[in-house]
Amino acid sequence: MISLQNVTKTYKNGVTALEAVSIEIEKGEFVFVVGPSGSGKSTTLRLLLREEEPSTGEVFVAGKNVVRLSSLGGIPKLRRNIGCVFQDFKLLQDKTVFENVSFALEVIGKPKHVIDTRVPEILDYVGLGEKLNNYPDELSGGEQQRVSIARACVNRPLVLLADEPTGNLDPNTSVDIMRLLDKVNKIGTTVVMATHDQAIVDAMRKRVIELDKGKVVRDQSRGVYS
Amino acid sequence: MRRIEFYFRETAAGIRRNGIMAFAAMSTAFIALFLFGLALIIAREINLVIEAVTGNVQVAVYLSDPVKTDTVTRIQSELQQLPAVASVEYENKDEACARAKQLFESNPAITENVPCDVYPASFRVTLADTAQYAQITAALSCEPDPSTHDITCTEPGVLKVLDFRDILDRLSAITRVLRNGVLFIAVIMLVSATVLVANTLRMGMFARRKEIGIMRLVGATNWRIRVPFLIEGLVEALVGAALAIITLFLVKVFVVDQLRGRIVWLPLIRNGDVLAITPWILIAAAGVAIVAGTIGIRRFLDV
Repeated sequence: MISLQNVTKTYKNGVTALEAVSIEIEKGEFVFVVGPSGSGKSTTLRLLLREEEPSTGEVFVAGKNVVRLSSLGGIPKLRRNIGCVFQDFKLLQDKTVFENVSFALEVIGKPKHVIDTRVPEILDYVGLGEKLNNYPDELSGGEQQRVSIARACVNRPLVLLADEPTGNLDPNTSVDIMRLLDKVNKIGTTVVMATHDQAIVDAMRKRVIELDKGKVVRDQSRGVYS
Repeated sequence: MRRIEFYFRETAAGIRRNGIMAFAAMSTAFIALFLFGLALIIAREINLVIEAVTGNVQVAVYLSDPVKTDTVTRIQSELQQLPAVASVEYENKDEACARAKQLFESNPAITENVPCDVYPASFRVTLADTAQYAQITAALSCEPDPSTHDITCTEPGVLKVLDFRDILDRLSAITRVLRNGVLFIAVIMLVSATVLVANTLRMGMFARRKEIGIMRLVGATNWRIRVPFLIEGLVEALVGAALAIITLFLVKVFVVDQLRGRIVWLPLIRNGDVLAITPWILIAAAGVAIVAGTIGIRRFLDV
């Protein structure tokens, strides 16, 4: 599903974020990417989204060489297959929960009947079926993250990328969010999660890829944080 | 359908959110397009005056009454043989009368009271080389009369010769200066309008950078993201154009129409003239929108 082959990424300012990194992730896997700040976790996610191009090496997502995709149609199509969840939720404050999720379908041109069935469905799935018409500032942090997960999953992506999704949440809420991500993974979505959260990584016992200074220093199935 | 609805909803939201900037852009576009239209109308008005004064010929050879057919053919072939003459057109008395009636149609005092037979038949001559004008007067044995500035001729059948070169030169010089002056201001204003519209779009994009970020993230195409802003620019320019067109009609009604009939010899622009320049205003507005759109969203071209 995801394949990084000997990828090196050097930014224009000379910083090498990734050096000769090779990672293979199968369909349906749940993978933690751990490591200190600046180890290359975010760069890895950005490469998968084709927000950055590798300096050398190849990146494949769902069988497509993402470097070769055109910005006209290829990249948007790639991103429709990838859901994204962030530490700061990235919700639109002037839109309701329903509108935040439907926005993701609307802007890729999905017809109204699809939106009207899928949005309530996915909000129900993440446990927010009762809060369709609330605004983000009326929700708790955990609930906001659920909205953002709903938005990421509403188009049924093959891959879900999560960048520190529990970074702003208290431990109990974090556990709830992890249960939800696990649930999303169980229905076949490949989940890649970058995190600092040791407790969560240790508790989940999933595959762990550890980066340090841009290199893979550990790749362990059913691993722990360190 | 749904896509179009999406674009227009986004555009409306954009303009509302960005109200003051959108207003500034629209009013600048309005002033710019109004001046642009004014320049075109001035040019049309002066063309009307030239037409009225000279009939758009450089030299007129008037024939004395009664006009004899053999005189007409003789003088016509004589004029056509001159190397300085590019073309000769004969206008008989009826045609002269009809043209005068058309020119002064807004002045019933003239059209009703001046009988048709006072308008002389004439040859309307366009010169290939205006400097060689003397060939005509020589051929028709004419001499300028210093007291009246008319040129009287001894050639039988010829009443007099009128030389419009000087008037034509002066009028077209005035046209050039007036039209170019207003066009110059209009161009500066059009540039400001373009920059303002572009800036409005850019501010709109900045205000909505979070939304744009999410749109990209979920796989919206570039055009999906840009089109609402392009429509916004187009709407602003077209609102300016509509206001400019309305104002030009108001100027025609409240300024030009008030003059009508007061200056008897002066033909004035009509609704049709204002209507004829509206496509140019709309084209200019579209140009403003296209350039502003290209500049305004350039920074957001990359995925």
